[in-house]
Amino acid sequence: MIILKMAWRNVWRNSRRSSITIAAMTLALFVELLYAGMVAGLVYGMEEDATAYELGDVQVFSEGYLTKPSLYDAVEDDEAIVSRLREAGFRATGRLYSGGLGAAGELSSGVALVGIDPEGDAATMELHAAIGEGEWLDAADPKGIVIGRGLARTLALGLGDELIVLGQASDGSVANEVYKVRGILMSVAAGLDRGGVLLTEGEFRELMVFPTGSHKIFVRKPVEQPLDLARDEIAALVGARDGVSVKTWKEVSPFLAQYIDSVAGVIVVVYLIVYLAVGILILNAMLMAVFERIREFGVLKAIGYGPGQVLGMMVAEGMLQAVVATALGVTLALPVGWYLQEVGVNVGTLGGMQMAGMTMPPVWNAYYTLETTRVPVIMLFVIVLGAVIYPAVKAAWISPVEAMHHR
Amino acid sequence: MTSNGTPILQLDGVTKVFHQGDIEVRALRGLDLAVNQGEFVALWGPSGSGKTTALNLIGALDSPTEGSVKLEGRELSKLSRRELSAMRRDRIGFVFQAYNLIPVLTAYENAESVMALQGVPPKERRDRVMKLLADVGLGGMEHRRPHELSGGQQQRVAIARAIASNPAVVLADEPTANVDSATAEKLLDIMAKLNAEQGVTFVFSTHDPRVMRYAKRLVGLVDGAVDTDIEKAQGELDPEMVALGG
Ligand SMILES: Nc1ncnc2c1ncn2[C@@H]1O[C@H](COP(=O)(O)OP(=O)(O)OP(=O)(O)O)[C@@H](O)[C@H]1O
Ligand SMILES: [Mg+2]
Repeated sequence: MIILKMAWRNVWRNSRRSSITIAAMTLALFVELLYAGMVAGLVYGMEEDATAYELGDVQVFSEGYLTKPSLYDAVEDDEAIVSRLREAGFRATGRLYSGGLGAAGELSSGVALVGIDPEGDAATMELHAAIGEGEWLDAADPKGIVIGRGLARTLALGLGDELIVLGQASDGSVANEVYKVRGILMSVAAGLDRGGVLLTEGEFRELMVFPTGSHKIFVRKPVEQPLDLARDEIAALVGARDGVSVKTWKEVSPFLAQYIDSVAGVIVVVYLIVYLAVGILILNAMLMAVFERIREFGVLKAIGYGPGQVLGMMVAEGMLQAVVATALGVTLALPVGWYLQEVGVNVGTLGGMQMAGMTMPPVWNAYYTLETTRVPVIMLFVIVLGAVIYPAVKAAWISPVEAMHHR
Repeated sequence: MTSNGTPILQLDGVTKVFHQGDIEVRALRGLDLAVNQGEFVALWGPSGSGKTTALNLIGALDSPTEGSVKLEGRELSKLSRRELSAMRRDRIGFVFQAYNLIPVLTAYENAESVMALQGVPPKERRDRVMKLLADVGLGGMEHRRPHELSGGQQQRVAIARAIASNPAVVLADEPTANVDSATAEKLLDIMAKLNAEQGVTFVFSTHDPRVMRYAKRLVGLVDGAVDTDIEKAQGELDPEMVALGG
């Protein structure tokens, strides 16, 4: 008690120095909090983008499909699997894939045909919400298609224009049909942007002569469920069977997952740099405080304070300043962080820019969870402790005789 | 030497050598001293005779090069750091020449601080500290910080702190060196009174014959060893002393 009391008063003894130290801690924490929220927002957005449009959280597919996608390599009992997953509380939908050629007037381009259950997909993935112009697929309009924005540009297509699709059906016959563009996607993912042609599931099956099975079943988990646990639960629901894989999106796209993780890793580096600077400042301030008070430590030791008590007092001085800085820093960061999360930063011309297959959103939002806020605060305390420990040890192990000779 | 049982303080053949670079300083050269419960002893002698060094050894602040220092029969060199800290806290009261007090604590808190470390219950602390501060003439100044007190008043707080923890012995190194002689006499009055009424054992060092007048025993140090050791009545100034310093 008396040690805490002394520590608290010692903090305010050189109030200018302590104020500067606290201001530096506050500023560092403030910056770290906003920075952590922005990076978390970026990472969260990237994961959202990756999973919501193209990857899902967990995928069910035929074993060989990943390395060698083929029209013939589908999960046969897709309907049974999807309904079982939905019963267990997951959102799930199947998609069908094939390549083909698209032509409009004089222009032509390779296209990626995607067969989609308009309602089931809309209930599972977010692609339906990424319509830039026109409308999403409708089972009642089998000849209406949704195409990628890049493809629309390449083929000079607008809403209502016709696209001829050519391909090879599963029975070896020529697949050939004319469609009408009813929707154009926003840029959400590079592949879809450049060549995506979305058809209703029924139309895909008809065009490709492909009556049953899905190439991929996409599953979305509840937000709070850890990815690996979700995969295991889904695998159990799908049941062990030969030739079917159940994988997380990170396993399907390890490169992308790694890239996103590395962005998160940048957080730590910047933390360290900002906090290192603050750490040096604290170290200097505490060393000065110890040096000025050597005689006093001598007296404390002489009248019976043990090294642990003197150490405790010095550590408490640092920690108390960190507590004040945390209160200030969090209070300052709260409204700004809230603004960044709710309103976001308009990134202007950077919006729509592609980075490693990801598309930068036009508005960059922060994303705060307990984790994002906790880490910068904990790091502040760790740094303060690290900076205080050396001066504190110096003070604690001072010889009383030498200390009192001092000055 | 008074004769009520074993000495609470005993130094036998104590030497202390300091090394300053290549130079060896022999601060104590075979010091023998025994002090009993209730004594009021002044160590006196010329500058450099080893008074401070002796008090530091007695106070477990430093260890001798040779010889033994015993406090209440316990050999200090056999104690661990932790035990020495506890010894200083519980058995020894210190009053230094100056800068005794913790600047961020009030007079009351300073006087209380050692007792708080000892874990004395707050109520008991309060009663004891209030009484002691009144005894040393600081009633009403409990909430002043050291910088709001005069040098003499600060020394009185230091004396109150030293006594408050119920030590076996109070060690005071030139407690009056930084105060005027009127104040010095007042401090000595207080110490003499605590010695007479509460039986607190005092060992202090001084240069000042006016201070020595209060002592009941005068131990003269010369070159790190006891030169003279006389008992006298309190208040009486030894003729030899007058010749030396007065
Ligand atoms: N820490 C030290 N390092 C080196 N020499 C020291 C140290 N402390 C004391 N000495 C030397 O030991 C001798 C005795 O010093 P001490 O301080 O005990 O004398 P003193 O009797 O207290 O003197 P004064 O009356 O001036 O206070 C002196 O020569 C002093 O220079
Ligand atoms: Mg001295």
